[in-house]
Order: sequence, then C-alpha cells, then structure tokens
Amino acid sequence: MSDEAQTPDLSGGRGFQTVRERLYHALFFVCALLSVLTTLAIVIALLTEALGFFAEVPVLDFLTGTRWSPTIRPVEYGVLPLVFGTVMVTLGAAALALPVGLLTAIYLSEYASPRVRSILKPALEVLAGIPTVVYGFLGLVYLTPALSVIFPSISTFNILSGSIIVGIMIIPMVSSISEDAMSSVPDSLRNASYGLGATKFEVSTTVVVPSAVSGIVSSFILAISRAIGETMAVVIIVGAQANLPEASSIGGLPFVSPTSLFDQFLEPGMTMTVAIVNLAVGDIATQSLAYQSLFAIGLTLFAITLIMNLISDLVAQRYREEY
Amino acid sequence: MATDTTTDDGFGQVSRVKGVVFEYLTLAASLLGIVSLAILLSYVSYDAFGLDAAAPAWYVVFLLTLVAPSAGFLWYVRDRSTVRSSISGVLSVILGGTLVALGLVVVLSIIVGPDVWFAHSLFILGPTLALLGYARYVDDSAVWAGTAAGVWLFVGAVLTAIDDLLLVFGQQLASPFDLVTMPEELLLQAAILLGTPGVYFLTVLVPAVVLADRYVASRSNDRRGHSLAVALVLVTFAAVPLVDTVPAVSRGSWLLVVVGFLTPLGVYVALNAADSDSRLGLAFPLVVLAGLFAGRLVVDVLGVARPEPWFDWQLLTSSASATPADAGLYPAIIGSVFIIVLVAVFTVVFGVGAAVFLEEYASSSGPVGKVTRFIQVNISNLAGVPSVVYGLLGLALFLRLLGMGAGTVIVAALTLSLLILPIVIISAQEAIRSVPDDMRQAGYGMGATRWQVIKTVVLPEALPGILTGTILALGRAIGETAPLILIGIASFVTWAPDGVFSRVTAMPMQIYGWAFYPDPGFRHGVVPAGVITLLAVLLAMNSVAIFVRNRYERST
Repeated sequence: MSDEAQTPDLSGGRGFQTVRERLYHALFFVCALLSVLTTLAIVIALLTEALGFFAEVPVLDFLTGTRWSPTIRPVEYGVLPLVFGTVMVTLGAAALALPVGLLTAIYLSEYASPRVRSILKPALEVLAGIPTVVYGFLGLVYLTPALSVIFPSISTFNILSGSIIVGIMIIPMVSSISEDAMSSVPDSLRNASYGLGATKFEVSTTVVVPSAVSGIVSSFILAISRAIGETMAVVIIVGAQANLPEASSIGGLPFVSPTSLFDQFLEPGMTMTVAIVNLAVGDIATQSLAYQSLFAIGLTLFAITLIMNLISDLVAQRYREEY
Repeated sequence: MATDTTTDDGFGQVSRVKGVVFEYLTLAASLLGIVSLAILLSYVSYDAFGLDAAAPAWYVVFLLTLVAPSAGFLWYVRDRSTVRSSISGVLSVILGGTLVALGLVVVLSIIVGPDVWFAHSLFILGPTLALLGYARYVDDSAVWAGTAAGVWLFVGAVLTAIDDLLLVFGQQLASPFDLVTMPEELLLQAAILLGTPGVYFLTVLVPAVVLADRYVASRSNDRRGHSLAVALVLVTFAAVPLVDTVPAVSRGSWLLVVVGFLTPLGVYVALNAADSDSRLGLAFPLVVLAGLFAGRLVVDVLGVARPEPWFDWQLLTSSASATPADAGLYPAIIGSVFIIVLVAVFTVVFGVGAAVFLEEYASSSGPVGKVTRFIQVNISNLAGVPSVVYGLLGLALFLRLLGMGAGTVIVAALTLSLLILPIVIISAQEAIRSVPDDMRQAGYGMGATRWQVIKTVVLPEALPGILTGTILALGRAIGETAPLILIGIASFVTWAPDGVFSRVTAMPMQIYGWAFYPDPGFRHGVVPAGVITLLAVLLAMNSVAIFVRNRYERST
C-alpha cells in the first residue's frame, strides 16, 4: 500500500489503483467475451455460406434428396445418404457404448473398492484421450482384418468397424457422467432399501439407477452427440461411399428388411463429417456450390449437436432429483 | 422387495447367483474398452518396434535383465507409499523434462534462432525487469511500476512482432518504430559476437540455474540449492568435449537440454535426496537404465537376433518420403511443437482471463448476471461443438475472410486455440473456484484491492489446477486432425516451418496421410511408429499434468 501517513486514510484516494482496477476488469471482460464472439463467428460463417447454398439448392431437395454427389456429374446434393450413414455409425456405437458405459458406471459407483476405482477411472479416461486419428488407424489396420474372420464378406472400409471404434471412444463419456450421478444418490436411500431386505443387485438396479436416471439419460445424449460429430476415426475406417439401402415398398411406405440393413454394416458408408472432410481434401474453388455445400452440412451438424447438448443440459437440470 | 427366497424354514435364504453374475457382468463391462484398446495398442507396439524379427532368446534376455529386476523392485516397495510417489515423481520429471528440452530446442534454436531470441528477449524483458526492480528496491511506493512492466511486456512483444512481420513481407524500409526498436538492432549485433552457446548460456542457462537455486532454497533450509547450481554449471562445461563428438547435438542444443531436462531433474533429486525412502524411489530409473544396458550387452555377446524397430532415431530426424525406409516425422514433430507452443500462449492468456472474469468479477444477479450466465452456457456448449465445425470456422474466418495463407502455422494455432479455449476456461474456473473464500476475505481484510487479491492470492493458489487443465487440453489439441484438414494443412511437407507464416504439417496429419498407403512398410512399420511417437508425447504431457495435480493435492 502506498499510504505512509501515521493515521490511516480510510477515505480512499487510491487514484492510480482505481484506474488499474478498471483496466483489469475490462481486460478480463474482453477475454470472457471472446467465447461469445467465437460462437457468433461460427454461426455467421456457417449461415452466410449455407444461405448462399440454399439459394441454389432448395432446402427441401437438400433434406430429401437420396443421392450425394457434389463433384461428379450429375451433381446432386441429397443429404439423406449422409444422414443414413451417420445414423448407422451412431446406432452401432450407441449399441456398444450405452450398455457398457452404464454397467461400468454401476460397477464403479456400487461395487468397486476405492483402490480398484482409483485405477479404473484414469484408465477409462485414457480411452477418451487417445487421438481419434489413432483410433482410425487401429480400426482400419487391425480391427477390420480381425472382423473379416467372422464376417468374410466385410469390405476394407465398413461401418461395423467404425461403429465399434467410435463406441469404445465414447464409453468414458457415458460412464463418468453416469457415475457422477449415481455417486450423488444419498446413502440413506440405499440403506433404507437394504433395511427392507433388498440385495445389493436390487439396490443397484431398482434404487440407484432410477434415482440417477436424469444424469444417465443426459450422459447418453452427450455420448450420442459426440458420436455424430466424430470425424477422423470414421473418415479412415468407414470410407467414403454415400450409400442408401435398397428399399422395397410395403403399403406405400418404404421398407428396408432387417437383413439388408445389417448387410449395410459390412459395407462402406459416408457420414456428414466424412463428406465435409472429403470435400475439403479435394480441390474445390471458393464460392463454388461444392464449397458452400460444405457449410450446409456443417450447419446441419452444428444444429444437431447443439440441440442434443441443450436437451442433455435440460434433462440433467429439469429431472434431477433433489435430496 | 421381491427377493428370490426359498421359504422352507421361516427366514429363508436369499439367492446370490443373480447378484454375483451381475457384479461380474459390470466388472467385465468396465474392462471391455480398456482391454480392447490394450490389445490394439500391443499390436501397434509389436509393429512399431519390429518385434517379429526378434529371436525368442532376445525376449528371455530382456525378461531377465530388464523386466524381472524392475518388477522385483516395484514389488519390493509395493507397500511404501513414499517410495512409490517418488518413483512416479521422478518418471514424470524425466518425461516432462524431455518434452521441455525438445520444446526449447525447437522453439529457440530451430524456429526463432539464437540472435533473434537474444535481441527479443532482452528488448522485452530488460525494461520489464528494470521496472520491477525499481519498484522493489528503490521506491516501494511506486505502485505504477508493476502495471507499467506488464504494459511493456505486451507493447514490447507487439513491437517486435510487427518488426518481424515487416521483415517477413520483405519490407526492409524504415518501420515506424525504428527509434524504439533501435536498441534491438544493437542487441542483434551483440548476439552475433557472443555466438549461439554464449547467447543460450547468458539468457537461458544462467536464469534457469538461479531460479533452480532459489526454488530449492525456498523449499529446504540447507545449502543444497547452491551445490545444485554449481553442479549444473560444472556438468554443462565438463560434458562439452563429449557433446562435441556427437554430430547431431550442437553445443547450443546441449545447453538447452541442460536447462530443459537436467535442471528440473536436479531440482527434484535435490529436494528428495534427504529422505531415505524417496532416495530409494530415485533409484528406479537407474535400475531400468542398467537393465537396458545389460540386456543390450548380453544380446551383443550372444549374437541373438534383435528386433528391427521402425521407431528409431532415423524416424525422428528425417523428412516425409514415399519409401518406408526413408520416411520420417521430423517436419511433423517440429510443426506440432510450433503449433502447440502458440496454442499454449493464446489459450493460457485468454482462458485464464475469461475464467478470472467469470469467477471473480462477474456478479450473479442483475443484468450483468444475465450476461454472465449467458457466457457460461455459451462456453459449455462451445465445448460440445464437433471439432470439424471449428475447422469450418477456421476456413471461413482465417483463410477466406482474413486472407491468411492456407496450411500455415498461425492459422493452425488460431483454429486449435479456439477449439480448446472452452476446455481451458472450464478447468481454470474449477481451479479458481476451489480456492477457499477465507483466503480472499483475508486479503480484502488487509486492504487489498480485487486485482491484488487475484494476483497474490487466487492465481498462485489456483495455478496447479490451471496448469493441469491446460496441459490436458493441449494434449487434446496436439492430437486433433479434422480441423487441420479443413484449413488446408498438407500431410506431405518435407521441410520444417521457419516462421508463423510458413506451411506446416503436424504429427496426426502425417499419420492420417500415411494411413491409406497400402505398402506394408507403411501400414505395419512407419505408421505404427508414428502412432507410438504421438502417444509417447501425449503420455509425457499427461504424466506431467497428473504429477502437478498430485503434488497440489498433497500440499493442501
């Protein structure tokens, strides 16, 4: 302090210090504002280019078109095959990661000793820390050949392998958020249930899981959102062939038989993220329709993941049990 | 509760089968992902280290000389927590020190160059230190000096950056700041007179040794700090004749290795050498090292077939090539380090700034509170945006709108900074939030202003948490590929970047580029080796982060 008077000057008079305080306040505010600017920039960048695209290609054609061929004539921009590929990869990944993640969370929160938990939890985090490009390489070079032993008709690039790898990648997302929710279930609920004669299995499945359901659902949604946005692993493993399954018509409604749907897992596919990367790798001229289509898919992807994240937040907050 | 009971004698027996099956099912689920990843990574290591060429005898030799003694050592100390924490500490320091040394060599001698470093560092730091010294020793009522030093730190950096930009664009004409930057020209001449080792000795080694001495002295009350400083300087000079025999390592690089690797290791050893349990832990790396040498010696003597590793010195020092035997990661490693250093600077400044604002300044009520809540929701949503969308942002903003060159260092660094900024902010907020409020109140009670409390209480207390979060976020940035593809980073660049505007490639880009090569030499050789390199860097970063966190947890 600069005051050297014998009697303390409580009235202030810290001229320079006031200026300095305001300066730092403003500086920190600018830093915080940067994140808002980033969001704005993302929205503006995606919207301006996507609007240019939709001026040429009607939104309805984009959303219902069944062929994706931005560079090879006849040029068509139908997003359905990309949505189909994304849904397939995400479904496969979710089928693996959601049950496994949930069981993992139950084990960590209910069964594991503190020592085991202190080893398992960081080990699970490792799964999320491996770069996705490494996962892609692992899938293409080691997992797909291994799968071809079980499914001889599997192609070099296929959805199944991609689903499994993406599934492994998102396990920790499900398990860590679900486990947080389960750990915050108060012990009094568990003890009440034990007092009524319930076994540990019953306490876990009929008390802890239902009490933590908001956290579990929110973790599921976040993990699926992550799987939808996953890029590199899918680019390397799933290949780049925009496919739709053969659909027959039953009673005027398109119908895809389950077996042909399963066969699609063994075939290459193309997700929205793969389409973005493929267009970016190929040389496309600025302001061309293909360049703008990049942002149209990006906008679709951004909107889907943003909505899912918001729903996940909402579920976690709205349906949280208060103890 | 409907329990499975057999009601033969009143109280009944509960069936345990279902519960036991369920417990093992959950355990199996927990292990599924970890085990699958472990299997896949063991295949990668098998390929990267070329273990298929090794004879069974080779495995036996190393099992006996390396694995058995190390495992025996760990088993012997299994119940002594001091020894175990000392082992993990010294391993983290070794891994982290290697990274720091690599970073110093890349940044100071490859990217910046010794003379420019000398001129810039003295031009920026000289007046800063003078101002701080004035406030501390001459006139301790000069509250403006600290702020002035901070402002000069910023202005000096901007001035030198503008100067460099003018040089990059080939404008040797008079810059508007010539009068201000004139001392810099003189310093540049002085640097040339000093030579590379002289520059590093004065500007890096001496400050590092003094810092190490002060740090050790502040942690222990004897004179170990001084002996450490003397030992470091002696080792530096004594090893010069030895270093001169290795053509790959110049004297300048050696000095940087001393600063980045030996100094932290020395500090750790000096602080832990007094306690006998800790000393035992320090011996673990020696056991491993001795095992490696002994195994190698035995293999040489017996003439056993050795593995033919793809992961070797050649891989780390050669450029990209279409033939597997010549292919290397050198430009990609330099590129990644360059990008990450810039990302670290950007994200620490803005991330910590934003976190301080949200935790210390923002009020939670009124219109300001609404803005704050909006910023908070916005940040957590940004963290969930797919990385490829950030690539689109970089493409539209930096390449098309601002016209920066495709595939350059600066564009990659800015894009990745925006990508990890939300993660850094969130983790920094958590670190700041965990500082107990009593400490702040104590500061205010002594009449400190808000900034003084932040500077002297909050930030020092939160620093380990901030560091841990930032390092983990940087680990995410170093592995990101999708955004790099979109901003035009090439996967085949055969030279290392020499400035922020030069084209660059990065380790994950190189792996992506090679992944599709059908040649088995790439598929089961070079790419696994590249993957191992990337994972080794990540392992080193994460172990440093965990080390920092553990120390912090112990001290509170």
